[in-house]
Amino acid sequence: MSIKGGGFKKSAEASQEVPTSSLADIAFLLLIFFMVTTVFQTDRDRPIEWTEAQAAQKIDEKQKNILNIWMEQNGTVFINDQPHTMEQVTTVVAPLYAASERALVISIRGDREVPYRFIDQLQTALVAAGVVRVVFATQLEQSIQRERR
Amino acid sequence: MSILGNKKRKVSDGVPMSSTADIAFLLLIFFLVTTTFPKDKGLSIVLPEPGEEAQVSQKNILHLIIQPSGIVDVKRGESQQVVQMRASEIEGLWRQEESQNPNMIAAVKTHPDAPYKYMVDVLDALKSANAVRVSLQILED
Repeated sequence: MSIKGGGFKKSAEASQEVPTSSLADIAFLLLIFFMVTTVFQTDRDRPIEWTEAQAAQKIDEKQKNILNIWMEQNGTVFINDQPHTMEQVTTVVAPLYAASERALVISIRGDREVPYRFIDQLQTALVAAGVVRVVFATQLEQSIQRERR
Repeated sequence: MSILGNKKRKVSDGVPMSSTADIAFLLLIFFLVTTTFPKDKGLSIVLPEPGEEAQVSQKNILHLIIQPSGIVDVKRGESQQVVQMRASEIEGLWRQEESQNPNMIAAVKTHPDAPYKYMVDVLDALKSANAVRVSLQILED
């Protein structure tokens, strides 16, 4: 343990570049995260004018247990990109509801100008299908907009 | 054009790894772009079971009748007195009513021709006032 000259030789050299060896690991980590969390939307959005509400809450259910029922301004009903008549709604929804073991949540996405009679007919059809949990899908209203109104 | 034909090519015996990062980034960007985080929001209600009907005393009902113009006619139980209101005034009204009678039920009756948004406005006001017992009906003549 004798050191001649009495001193330590400092040979640590700091690299001047950003270390890139872990770049691929970071990329793969992010890749796997997004692969796992991605949920592809099952149906396409219909062109509707959304209603707005302040008290809107997040739907507390898994994405696969949410069924969107779109209602356009003229009262046309769309389920999974297919147009349906009001009479068909019960027969379409009931098997889906049974398949989900009664966990299905119906998200009613109605145009803001649609006459209420259609919404009422839709509710009656859903009651006949045995559905219990229904959400009137809305967009969050900004309080500034409310002040202006 | 090697005339001598001395083959010096060395075939690598490993899978080429230099492009894995590129592939990973490509896939990463694809998933970044296509990811839609669930952002569904709405006003949730619970529909009655088929055939389920409850009898409620008239004095516990607050009738909210939504007209096609968006004006709300408020009527307490049996009384014939009608007060006209706007949807934004319902929230305060409900808080007041519920403090007086905790068993109060809001019966929202919408005119068949009234746009859906007015019903949502009233339901929003009731939800903002923490109303739990809400009944959605259609206005019959």
